[in-house]
Amino acid sequence: MIIDDYNVFVMIILISLIIILIQLWFESKKRPRAVEMETKTLVKCPKCGYSEEREFQPGDFVSAIKGKCPKCGSPIKVHAIYAIELKTGSREKLKTPHKPL
Amino acid sequence: MPGDWTDYIGQIIFILFFIMLFTGLNQRIQMKLWAYDIRSKLSLIKRHVDESRSRTEEILVKLGVKEPSPLISKYMDFFTIEPVSLEPTDIIKRLDHILTTRERVFKDSLAQVLPDLGKHERSLIETSLEIVSVLNYIYKIVRHYLLIGEKYNNWVLLMQLQFQMPEILRLTETYYKSFNAFINGVPIGDGAGPLVAYRLIERGRVLSKKVIDDTVVVETWLDDRRLFVVKAEGPGSNVGKPGKVIQKVIEELNGNVDLVITVDAALKLEGEETGEIAEGVGAAIGDPGPEKIAIERAASTYGIPLRALVVKMSLEDALHPMKKQIYEAVERCADYILRIIKDSTKPGSTIIVAGIGNTVGVGQ
Repeated sequence: MIIDDYNVFVMIILISLIIILIQLWFESKKRPRAVEMETKTLVKCPKCGYSEEREFQPGDFVSAIKGKCPKCGSPIKVHAIYAIELKTGSREKLKTPHKPL
Repeated sequence: MPGDWTDYIGQIIFILFFIMLFTGLNQRIQMKLWAYDIRSKLSLIKRHVDESRSRTEEILVKLGVKEPSPLISKYMDFFTIEPVSLEPTDIIKRLDHILTTRERVFKDSLAQVLPDLGKHERSLIETSLEIVSVLNYIYKIVRHYLLIGEKYNNWVLLMQLQFQMPEILRLTETYYKSFNAFINGVPIGDGAGPLVAYRLIERGRVLSKKVIDDTVVVETWLDDRRLFVVKAEGPGSNVGKPGKVIQKVIEELNGNVDLVITVDAALKLEGEETGEIAEGVGAAIGDPGPEKIAIERAASTYGIPLRALVVKMSLEDALHPMKKQIYEAVERCADYILRIIKDSTKPGSTIIVAGIGNTVGVGQ
């Protein structure tokens, strides 16, 4: 085969097509990283200020009384419920650590 | 060299190129590719609809409903017709009437099926059904435009739809993932307003408490001022009727209110940080109209300054379990409100603070 300008031109077009197809295939496979979150319940004693971060349990809500303060014995309240990001770097889908109703 | 294989390939490419250019075949191929892409994304949306539907069915069966399918189907295809806007007289009143009717129909249907279920649990089921309904609606709309585009070879329609698909997919995933939060009663980002309201209730000395239209009004004494804190009644999934309640409180006090502050979650622009607090004037409330206008009318009738605070977040943040950044913003927001109150009112003043948003997981 003689390598002239025309052949080089056709080869470039073919190689470019192959590169574009490979790139499109990789693009279609790419998925955004799912961030795994965990829900926490922050309980706080209104009297002595004792606070503790616990796992969220179904039935928890802000203002609910959740047991007694281990320091002063007065009732402790749910101060906040929030989700924190787990630093696992996992590509798994978002999961809830608790069961639905 | 004549007859070389690259010559043939080159010729074929050029012939194909011109055939496609002059017959419009390239557009047809492009259209097929777009339709294929939309179809694959649509199947993902369908999966979200089916999964959330089957989970709702499971929950209803666990709660004792023998035939949950008719109820879910009814919710899924439920529609609301907007009032006539060509004649604007009383449009807010008409819109409010339609929205109230819709709410009542939803609640009554669920109460008939689950008469023994508590108000809180029922509201969570109701919101889950609404999520299924929204997902199904999005699915139907996308499918409609895909089929119309294919039927009439409307490549412009398919192109627009294909370009919008990532955004639509993001929206459906947001709703789908919010399902867990509602079914478990976890506070969501949109609950920032009610949580700020609860913080103020907690800090003050409660004088009285009453519930009007699923909305709580707590009268407290804080920093030598009389504070009326308004929020939706929690901890169920509920937004209440804060506008009408604020109007009622102002009228009961004969307009003797020195300041009205509304706190709400607001959608952030791309590039803004989640949990940023911004201050402004007006009524910070994202309802279709009736609640917002009620606050504006009452405040303007009596010349009461209307201040607003918003906690910025994305749509995902607003519908998913409340992120820690938003919780921290809530704490800062409560301090911010107290600073505004101290700076703009004198001791002995009467102030109304309304925490706007869905109060799921936040009591009072």
